[in-house]
Amino acid sequence: MQTSEQEAEDSAAQPPVPVFVARGLSKVYGSGDSQVTALKNVDLDIRQGEFIVLLGPSGSGKSTLLNILGGLDAPTSGSAKWRDHQLTGAGDTELTTYRREHVGFVFQFYNLIPSLSVEENVRLVAQIASDPMDPKEALELVGLSHRARHFPSQLSGGEQQRVAVARAIVKRPDILLCDEPTGALDVDTGRLVLAAIAKVNAELGTTTIVITHNSAIAGMADRVLRLSGGRIVKEEPNPDRVSAEDVQW
Amino acid sequence: MVNVLDIKVVRDLWSMRLQVLSIAMLVAAGVAVFVMSVSNYRALVGAMESHYRNERFADLFAGTTRAPLVIADRLREIDGIGIVEPRVAKPVRIIREDTNLPISGRIISLPAEGQPLLNRLHLVQGRWPDPLHPEEVIINAAYAEARAVRMGQPVEVVLNGRLQDFRVVGSALSPEFVFATRSAVPLPDDRNFVVLWAGEDAVASAFDMKGAFNDVAMTIAPGSSVRHVLDEVDRLLAPYGGTGAYNRGDQPSHRFLEDELAEQETLSIFMPSVFFGIAAFLLNVVIGRMVEAQRGQIASLKALGFANGTIALHYFKLVTAIALLGSAVGLVLGCWFAVGVVGSYRAFFRFPSLDARFEPWLLVAATLVSVVAANLAAATSVYRIAVLPPAEAMRPATPPALQTFAWLQTMGSRVIPLQYIIAARTTLGRPIRTVLSTIGIALAIPLILFGLYWFDAIDYMIDVSFSRIERGDAFLTFTEPVSTDTLHELKALPGVLNAELQRVVPVRLRVGYRTYRTSAIGLDPGSELRVPRDKALQPISIPADGIMLSRQIASQLDLHVGDTVSIDVLEGARAVREVIVRRISDDILGSSVTMDRSALNHVMREGPVANVAALRIDSAQSELVWSRIKSMPRIEGSSVKALWLSLFNDTIGEMVLIGALILAGFGMLIAIGVVYNSARIALQERAWELAGLRIIGLTRREVSAVIVSELVAELVVAIPLGLLIGRYLIELIASARASQSFQIPVVIDPSSYVIALLLVIAAAFASFIMIRRRIDTLDLVAVLKTRD
Repeated sequence: MQTSEQEAEDSAAQPPVPVFVARGLSKVYGSGDSQVTALKNVDLDIRQGEFIVLLGPSGSGKSTLLNILGGLDAPTSGSAKWRDHQLTGAGDTELTTYRREHVGFVFQFYNLIPSLSVEENVRLVAQIASDPMDPKEALELVGLSHRARHFPSQLSGGEQQRVAVARAIVKRPDILLCDEPTGALDVDTGRLVLAAIAKVNAELGTTTIVITHNSAIAGMADRVLRLSGGRIVKEEPNPDRVSAEDVQW
Repeated sequence: MVNVLDIKVVRDLWSMRLQVLSIAMLVAAGVAVFVMSVSNYRALVGAMESHYRNERFADLFAGTTRAPLVIADRLREIDGIGIVEPRVAKPVRIIREDTNLPISGRIISLPAEGQPLLNRLHLVQGRWPDPLHPEEVIINAAYAEARAVRMGQPVEVVLNGRLQDFRVVGSALSPEFVFATRSAVPLPDDRNFVVLWAGEDAVASAFDMKGAFNDVAMTIAPGSSVRHVLDEVDRLLAPYGGTGAYNRGDQPSHRFLEDELAEQETLSIFMPSVFFGIAAFLLNVVIGRMVEAQRGQIASLKALGFANGTIALHYFKLVTAIALLGSAVGLVLGCWFAVGVVGSYRAFFRFPSLDARFEPWLLVAATLVSVVAANLAAATSVYRIAVLPPAEAMRPATPPALQTFAWLQTMGSRVIPLQYIIAARTTLGRPIRTVLSTIGIALAIPLILFGLYWFDAIDYMIDVSFSRIERGDAFLTFTEPVSTDTLHELKALPGVLNAELQRVVPVRLRVGYRTYRTSAIGLDPGSELRVPRDKALQPISIPADGIMLSRQIASQLDLHVGDTVSIDVLEGARAVREVIVRRISDDILGSSVTMDRSALNHVMREGPVANVAALRIDSAQSELVWSRIKSMPRIEGSSVKALWLSLFNDTIGEMVLIGALILAGFGMLIAIGVVYNSARIALQERAWELAGLRIIGLTRREVSAVIVSELVAELVVAIPLGLLIGRYLIELIASARASQSFQIPVVIDPSSYVIALLLVIAAAFASFIMIRRRIDTLDLVAVLKTRD
């Protein structure tokens, strides 16, 4: 496996090669009258180390796209590839391996295991990863080493979400997928979480995709993709990235 | 307009159909056992009462050697006596071309005209004998069936040593022979035991009994003292060789029937109680968790303004629907089992009609009991949830006091994979729930074990009774005492490996006001073909003086070694002796008094004679042996152990197998029901957590390990606990059903424990597979969209 530093050098030397390539992705739920089209013929390239923000109203297909890229869902048609991993048509075992080795997830509702302590929640992922960082180090990155022995129920929402970030990055993922990571948080707490995500993107070179319908967060991205009705309706490069501290909403 | 909450009931039932089905099966098991045992008991009691009433079964019985008919008139004068019916009843033997085995029987005289006053016959086939044709007889229906006797068929009977031809004109049932058996054989051998009813002239002249009787049946006037009447009858018959009057309790057929009924009554109360108890407990566990898993929905309903009562009613409807479904299945199963079991009773108990009874009250009661039990079982959970403030109910249940298990963090979690830590904390963090579902799984085991136990107990009974105590292959009874010459004669027969003589006489034991009618068996010292044994199955030597008592008799008469008991011999010179109890033997089948043969001969004031011979026969030559024995005089009857055992296996064996299969099947259903429900609810409660684990990259196997290891932990505790409870319940049931006729020993073969254990593991495994399929199909995306 290449280190992110090497990859960063590679990308500096040559025109950047996309790590995610999606072509003609469509996703239809249900059948007959109850049929709902969540994605319509989406093409997408994402480069190594990019910070992408997916913006759009509810039902625009953001989560469906993220889930397909994260190996949680399969498209109805089209293809999606991460490096040499075909994400479409892959079986459960391949997708589990893909998630296990390459993807870190952060969700709106944290999804921590209530019966495991903060450190154990992080270690749970370290335990199944091939080259994890020390769980303590991951907790330090999100500023929570002092809460290592607490249980999720003893933490605030923001702290829980930062644990989720630490858990997502402890495996040194190639991809960090965040679905409304600040959706359940207030501004100050949300900023702390965003700072942690940005730090991981910057320091580890992790390709990061963040879903939000908070357009203020878009300022942090390299590129903003606006979705509506299952299509990417607008693609906005953002040369002037702001830090999490400067995000206002 | 249909209430929307009622629509929710229907939809919930459908969406939880497997869970609903498994809970309903628990209810069904309870209802089925209840219906089956109560209706069996009622069927037997009903059949007995109507047979006794219609055929006027006598209250009292007495025998004499020969009493003139005028004595019957004296009996009628006894204060408190009702009807008195003198008759002639004698042992006979039947000769058949198609068998060498001597068929023993009894001939009973019928009045010259029509039915007797007491112990009337219920004609099954044919007609009443014509008084003008003394050769016409009625035979007992059981023998007629077993030997396919046609009406009009001749029958050769040895009466009083003389061969006489009769003709069968009818077959009948008698309240005296509902359970037709000879002594020492606690199962009816319909092929080799016959009862003949013939006109009194024919019988009396064959036995030189004109103007006399040797047997009398009587009724007692309501409110009279039985003791007084019995004493008076004894006093009047004593000069004529009275063998002691006795009431129904000592009448062989009734005694056995009463034992069976007492046992059925115990079981019909005990078994359903155990089943309902277990089912109610499991319902409490399972429904409690089901309701708990819906706390979010309940909170929403409350937030919307539904009253606590409305919500509680909603859940009671859900539970009632499940209970009704279970009752419906249980009623059908129960009736089906009852029909089967009553059918198998027909081989033992001959009643004019013995049919399973499904009285409406029973069906209604079974349904009511199950509905009430299910609702009571659910009540605590429904109440707990109903009183929660909506905001609190909307939050997930308070997580367990995890700090208590901090040691797991410091100690275990670095070594043990975290999936198991999750399992351990969840299990230990909710101790009450864990204990309840562990006990639930444990309770499946006694049922399986109880089914298997019958096989072990019966194997043990057969082994002890017929390989260790009764070691002969066949027994011959003689019409009159024989001497040692007969022994030599038998030993000289080709194919006879060993022969021993026994003196068997009817006796009555008396201690104060308590009496017990049984047989005294006189054995030669060092007897090899009958070896009395103690509890540890060690042979007990026959005391040179005094008696050896079966433990059942000893406990019934409260006798111990060294006590004195009065023994009345009911045959010959009617000796009455005080004897000392020297030893107690542990017989399983039958109960008897054992003495040294010469001591018994001495009591009888007779020479060294005997009336029973036990034989060991070379099986290759048995036909030859029986053909020689057939031509010997003075043989009254025989019993062949191999035949008896095969009869036993065909009848009792089949009954036990059916019972064991039913119980084991219910046990497995319960095990599956509890394990599956625990796992299913755990999955429901924690789908979110488990899907989270899948998302971060844990494989299906790793995620299943969380739930499976929780269940395995419960199983590991539940199995030994269940085996212990099983053992205890079996001891309890065995002590509750100890009867006079036989005692079921508490013997559980190690293999039964192993089978019970394996069946529960198999049931758990089946549940794991169902759960694994659920985990495999967890909708990860859907889980992300909801909050815990």
